[in-house]
Amino acid sequence: MKKLLILSVVVALAAVPGAPAFANDAYGNGPGCGLGGDLFKGNKAILHQVLAATTNGTFGLQTFGITTGTIGCTNNGQFASNEHATMFANLNFDNLSQEMAQGGGEHLASLATLMGVPAEQQPAFFAMTQEKYAALIQSGETTPAAMLKALHETMAAHPVLAKVSLVR
Amino acid sequence: MFLGGSRFQCRGPRFFFRLSSGLPRYLAQTVLLLLTMTVFVTTVAAEPSDPVYLSELIRRATDAKLADSREWHALLHYRLNFFGGVTSEQDGPTFFLASDGKTNPQTELEATLAGFFSDTLIGEAKQTVQCAFVARYAWLKEQLAFDERRLPSKDCERFRNWMQGLNPQSVTLIFPSAFMNNPASMFGHSLFRVDRQGQTPQTRILAYTINFMAEVPDGEGIMFAVRGIAGGYKGNFSAIPYYLKVKEYRDIENRDIWEYRLNLSDAQVRRMLMHVWEMGNASFDYFFFRENCSYQLLPLLEVANPEWRLTEQFTWWTLPGDTVRLLTKQPGIVGDAVYRPARTTQIRRRYERLSSDERGVLKRILQEPLLVRDQAFQQRPVERRALLLDIASDYLRYQSVTDEKQAETYKSRDREVLVARSELKVQSDNTPIEPFVTRPELGHRTSRIGVGAGYRQDEWFEEVSFRTVYHDLLDPEIGYAPGYQIELFSGALRHYGKAEQTRLERFTLANVVSLTPADSLFVSPSWKVNVGMQTLRHNNCRYCSAGVANGGAGLTFETHLLKREYFFGFGELETTYSHAFEEKHRAGGGGTLGMMADLTDRWRLLASATYLRFPLGEKSDEVRWSVGQRYTLAKDAALRFEFNHRERRDNEALFTIHAYF
Repeated sequence: MKKLLILSVVVALAAVPGAPAFANDAYGNGPGCGLGGDLFKGNKAILHQVLAATTNGTFGLQTFGITTGTIGCTNNGQFASNEHATMFANLNFDNLSQEMAQGGGEHLASLATLMGVPAEQQPAFFAMTQEKYAALIQSGETTPAAMLKALHETMAAHPVLAKVSLVR
Repeated sequence: MFLGGSRFQCRGPRFFFRLSSGLPRYLAQTVLLLLTMTVFVTTVAAEPSDPVYLSELIRRATDAKLADSREWHALLHYRLNFFGGVTSEQDGPTFFLASDGKTNPQTELEATLAGFFSDTLIGEAKQTVQCAFVARYAWLKEQLAFDERRLPSKDCERFRNWMQGLNPQSVTLIFPSAFMNNPASMFGHSLFRVDRQGQTPQTRILAYTINFMAEVPDGEGIMFAVRGIAGGYKGNFSAIPYYLKVKEYRDIENRDIWEYRLNLSDAQVRRMLMHVWEMGNASFDYFFFRENCSYQLLPLLEVANPEWRLTEQFTWWTLPGDTVRLLTKQPGIVGDAVYRPARTTQIRRRYERLSSDERGVLKRILQEPLLVRDQAFQQRPVERRALLLDIASDYLRYQSVTDEKQAETYKSRDREVLVARSELKVQSDNTPIEPFVTRPELGHRTSRIGVGAGYRQDEWFEEVSFRTVYHDLLDPEIGYAPGYQIELFSGALRHYGKAEQTRLERFTLANVVSLTPADSLFVSPSWKVNVGMQTLRHNNCRYCSAGVANGGAGLTFETHLLKREYFFGFGELETTYSHAFEEKHRAGGGGTLGMMADLTDRWRLLASATYLRFPLGEKSDEVRWSVGQRYTLAKDAALRFEFNHRERRDNEALFTIHAYF
């Protein structure tokens, strides 16, 4: 069970830059998130670092250490705000896919908040993810970052949500 | 030698302070400082230092007895030691600026003041002293009214960014309940969540937590227990996003979470977080029983409000439930509590809302999700379909986590279910999920003392009994999971009247039982382990000490015939060492059948019968049975009556009154 959690973090951290670049470059290519790229180049040291940070089943000291947690995607142990939506989608893909199907939930509301969707537009956002569920989740099967991209595109075509200016 | 390498060069001058004392001390300091400035030109070179102002500040701090103040002791984690002095609980190398800072609040204060003048970067994160120890700086600045021209404040950009990232509004105490399948979590856990400005109940998972935990290398095995208890691991603070913690506890370990909002003022929240930033340069030897995840949250609260005296309430051990209890007892600290059900709790509660027909449908969907496309399913009311699909999805995800080999199968079924769910444009059933276990702070305290009397074999006895922690099956259940027992270090002294003998009747190292009812959704094994010393009668030995180890695995079923009953069965192994046996020992196995029943809210019955056969050592067999009853008098008091039958005519009746403290 613990392994799953560790795996999900490793996958999440790895998937970010590995995802195809977005048209608007809003997500996925932040300067701090070089980890996945390094992974694909076979940088074992960083993989080891993340694994070490997640042993004992809990995310830990290197990744989220106070003042010292400065690797890959975190600085002082916090995610940069422009990368947080991508990281969040990576780390919570299961819960997001469930809540999109249900048309609401705290993970979906949190993702919307990180993307910059204002509270009053969120019900429309929830309804949209439920409406387009099959297509969105299909893109999510490749990578969560691709799902975010598909979310963006779907929003751009939405009568109300297209007007929302998102976090860039 | 005092410079300690390149870590922090401001240690130097302090050496000279100690050469003198009293009134001439100030003069001596000034002169010596002026003299030594030339010496230190090499190390503190080009630093905007003002030795005259530094010694003035030190003098004023000394006059005001700042080093003896409660605030300073809280910031440095000083506790009274056996010799009447103080020792800090902090064990890392970069937290103290004075070489004897761990035991000397005065030199540490002087070195800290000196450090504020320095631009030298310290610690792993390479910050100036002002920025690494922002809470010390803020407090001393306020106390001594630093002259900005003579001691300029430095810009701590990283700290500012960090605070901005936290965007704090308030602090919540998080208590994930106990988790039997991980020895490190058997008593639960506790951490803080830093709630964000503008956060809603829907977005509180985005908040960061403040979490203290030990760094445990992989594959530690049995050494984990030894080192964990003896302080062999380093503990550090980290700030993990709450959604990762929720995922860990609620989704993977299936633990209920309680969230207690703390009533801290803005200034208190800020003070606490400034100190948390300082914790980036701190580490603590982790002691499983006392200086653990739960204990280390208390000093943070003491920094927030130095008037609270929390750490001193714990001498030998700190259990997460006890900290929750302690905080809720302090007037005004704890606000409302929010319950966050484990995934399994949510599944079980929603399953209760299904008719037996719907339960059958759910079972079939779990096996064959395409059934949801059938006409028969489509004819059901849309809300009921949504509820069925929500339960099915939760359950398939539970299965994919617990049965990793089949995970892909469950995940693809879950996808089918969720696609069908997305076609139903109705809200999920949002009836609040009721916990199966009441709030932990409402339960009895975990230490217990008992006074009892009874009759064994053919004589009367009296006894006193003691338990360090935590809960057994006959203790009042409120606040504890049903069927969950952990007793550590408990024992009884007994005086037999006729034999005129006082003896250690029993001593338990660990006695752990986990009764998890199996039902149509969840089948988990029940298990038990008991290691300790008992008194038995065998051959010619009337009262013989015996070391016993027993362990077993089995199943439990729950019924609701009266209120609630557990029926359980175990297969088990047992080995005993005692002089009562001709070969000093015996070993074998057998089984136990038993029942635990609540007759009323206060009255519980626990009965069991065991047969064991010992083919090794002294060949023998034994039938045991026992009936125990508990009646709850108050939250922290209960009566107990037990009858135990052991080998041959070794019968014992025992009446005890228990108090929890």
